[in-house]
Amino acid sequence: MPRFLVMFVRITEAVNYRVGRIAMYLIFVLAAVLMWSVISKAFFRPALWTQEMAQFTMVGYFVLGGAYSLILGANVRMDLLYGRWSPKTQAAVDIVTIFALIFFLATILWGGIESTAYAFEVGERSRTVWRPYMAPIKIVICTGVFLMLLQSVCFLIRDIATLRGERI
Amino acid sequence: RAQAAPIRWRMQTYAGAALGEHVCKPAIELFNKIAAGQMEIELYYADQLVPTSELFRAMQSGTIDAVQSDDDSMQSPTEVTVFGGYFPFASRYSLDVPVLFNQYGLKQIWEEEYAKAGVRHISAGAWDPCHFATKDPINSLKDLEGKRVFTFPTAGRFLAQFGVVPVQLPWEDIQVALQTGELDGIAWSGITEDYTVGWADVTKYFLTNNISGAWIGHFFANQDRWNEVPEHLQALMEVCFEQSHYYRQWWYWGGEADLRVNGPKLELTSIPDEEWATVEAAARTFWDEIAAESETKAKVVEIFKKYNDVMAKSGRPYRYG
Amino acid sequence: MPYEYIAIVMFMGMMAMLLSGQRVFAGIGFVAVVAAIALWGDRGGYDIAFTSAIKLMNWYPMLTLPMFVWMGYVMSETRLADDLYRMFHVWFGPIPGGLAIGTILLMVLVSAMNGLSVAGLAIGATIALPELLKRGYDKRMVTGIIQGGSSLGILVPPSIVLVLYAMIARQPVGQLWLAGVFPGLLMAGFFLLYVVIRCGLNPKMGPPLSREELATITWSERIRLLRAGVLPVVIFASMMGPFVLGYVSLVESSVIGATIATFVAIAKRRLTKQVWETCVVNTLGVSCMFMWILLAALAFGAVFDGLGAVRAIESFFLEDLGLGPWTILILMQVSFLVMGMFLDDTAMLVIVAPLYIPLVAKLDLGMPPGDVLIWYGVLYTITCQVAYITPPFGYNLFLMRAMAPDQVSLGDIYRSIVPITGIMLLTLAVIILFPEIALWLPHQVYGQ
Ligand code: NA
Ligand code: NA
Repeated sequence: MPRFLVMFVRITEAVNYRVGRIAMYLIFVLAAVLMWSVISKAFFRPALWTQEMAQFTMVGYFVLGGAYSLILGANVRMDLLYGRWSPKTQAAVDIVTIFALIFFLATILWGGIESTAYAFEVGERSRTVWRPYMAPIKIVICTGVFLMLLQSVCFLIRDIATLRGERI
Repeated sequence: RAQAAPIRWRMQTYAGAALGEHVCKPAIELFNKIAAGQMEIELYYADQLVPTSELFRAMQSGTIDAVQSDDDSMQSPTEVTVFGGYFPFASRYSLDVPVLFNQYGLKQIWEEEYAKAGVRHISAGAWDPCHFATKDPINSLKDLEGKRVFTFPTAGRFLAQFGVVPVQLPWEDIQVALQTGELDGIAWSGITEDYTVGWADVTKYFLTNNISGAWIGHFFANQDRWNEVPEHLQALMEVCFEQSHYYRQWWYWGGEADLRVNGPKLELTSIPDEEWATVEAAARTFWDEIAAESETKAKVVEIFKKYNDVMAKSGRPYRYG
Repeated sequence: MPYEYIAIVMFMGMMAMLLSGQRVFAGIGFVAVVAAIALWGDRGGYDIAFTSAIKLMNWYPMLTLPMFVWMGYVMSETRLADDLYRMFHVWFGPIPGGLAIGTILLMVLVSAMNGLSVAGLAIGATIALPELLKRGYDKRMVTGIIQGGSSLGILVPPSIVLVLYAMIARQPVGQLWLAGVFPGLLMAGFFLLYVVIRCGLNPKMGPPLSREELATITWSERIRLLRAGVLPVVIFASMMGPFVLGYVSLVESSVIGATIATFVAIAKRRLTKQVWETCVVNTLGVSCMFMWILLAALAFGAVFDGLGAVRAIESFFLEDLGLGPWTILILMQVSFLVMGMFLDDTAMLVIVAPLYIPLVAKLDLGMPPGDVLIWYGVLYTITCQVAYITPPFGYNLFLMRAMAPDQVSLGDIYRSIVPITGIMLLTLAVIILFPEIALWLPHQVYGQ
């Protein structure tokens, strides 16, 4: 495989691994926010921001962790036929069907970029009493989806290498 | 005889299915029937195609052709958003809304504001008044203190000065939240909706004082899609939506009175008029705060003031005392 | 092309994409956006795809998902259920089939402590199964009851599937969870009966513990082991109690459960660095898997809705076929079961449920409208349980294949689920005939 493609795969996967390892710990941020919600309700005035903050954290968790979960192979496949194929056949089929993944992610990204631009344009805020700005979470979604998109391209490159009998 | 394929529109309302049955569906069915195959509007309820918070954008971009909502719920990025839904004490009766729009110039302002965003404001109509329904009786302003209440953002901002704790939850979770004690009450609608959507089953008391006499909601369409519709169907749509405003006028007006008197589930309580007058006075201060935010907002507040002034001077039956 | 045909093409396209072996969420999401673009132009495609992410964010109760997944991993990885298994082992061991009976009871308790079936399966396959095989229990019988027993995780509260159902049907989660209690116990009871009957007819299928082994267990140890039973009671009560009484919300109750499980694991000094790593990484992986399938399925569902597929199905069943309400209900369950064999289980929830729930709400089954959707939630969950274990596509099947000891072959696993599926269908039939089994408890707690 051309050197720059190999470099691309190495760098992308290293970035995705690190981002995912950090995002992985957002589950404890999520738990802390929800715990504060329980405590503030029991002892003080109910906090107004916990529910939305928790929702934002959860989105960050599964979007920023998305590329790493792809690397981990956590996303289930229906292996009725797939499981019986040789690695080469699997790679050949994946080279075709990976475009479904790429297309889906690209569509989300496109919509996300438009929605983020809109959020900036009108200074969009959530309609709760807390009224957080919506742009930051939309940027998080765009970033995570973009990383997943890059990861999908890595899979494509790896599959082509497999077909050529090479390993990256 | 070859008939052209019908024009198909997708309309999404802010209302869930139980409420949409009354506030939207009859008008759409009527339109489809009279349009006799030339055009068909498909109606979707809250969050069905896109979440309500993305409703405006989806209409702007044409994913959805038309929308029924108040400005506040769909977060329209206009200067008039804060007046949609319930603006405290802006109106007393549901008839005030069409008068304000058609005789006092709000219609122009709304049309212009939405035209800037590529959206056609078709017409505005009135819904129900905004009352509290609670688990404990409310007999004075003091009883409101510390109550966790589900309400609109603008109303919540206003009510916070009386010690109310506004809580935001997804609309569908309200009934459960009342059941499980997360909420003490709601300030979201009149008694008709309390019964229609099931909140009357999980609250005990209904406060007869309201912070607004009529909710303001609208029909909107994507401007380009609107232009593509032949003139006679545009006119038909306008007529059917007017009919929907009319339907809600009597459905709510009759329902509010009937359920207060004959409804078996909620006991009525009241805060004395003199005490409630302080809330109304606080609303006037709130109006001025809003008016200071922009020129358009000042214009709308000015109209509210002028209108309420005329009503106050005209005597019975417009205003008593 | 009429909308109905587009809907069918979409469905076929999704099946083809799934069969290709590409990641499930990619297949579903791809078909959704292509259909959205074909119908509503490129803007439609972008809007539907992205707003599905926002929709998922607004699905507030989904916050429970990572909490339940974490809790399940902590419980199985730190072997918190070891003592519990040991308790049942010594107390039920002496009777024929006793260890299998103990395993079923263990599965019920594990179900009461987490919202998915994964943890139950992991515990059953790694703790109970090797022991049972060592003692000469019939491998097909015990493999089957572990799969069936672990699937109780989604019927006995807390339950993620019922949370998902509650979101789609807009029904209170508290009532749905309580509605799952007795049907769950009933199904567990049928499993017990099945074991008792089979071991009664053929004692070789479940030999009791030998005298020598029993002699080594002292009475003081037996009493001491009973303390293990305290843990599930504490976890269940601290999660369900404050929630049902209204002190905390659903999501908050899940974080309380996760926190307690974590502290117990720390107190028992079982949360080693390696276990911690496994729990954190796997929780991310499983949560991402679920969330991305849900996101794709929400996009798919929105387009399906836009096509009027819901209305088409309604008018097909109610007007075109002119069938009675009970016939429709049974036809729905049958088609649901068939789809459950082939479709991804999570995707099925989000794609099929929105089609069927409005239809159920319209059926006149002689029940108060408020009750129908609560009761149907239980039927729906039992159907999902069946889908989990039926080939060719079922999570429990996958996991069992991965976790079972070598002496249990794939053929054994497939054959083991036949009687279990029968028992589940029997439970389904009983709940259909006697809705009160599901509805009694929510009525008692929340009133009519
Ligand atoms: Na459970
Ligand atoms: Na299956």
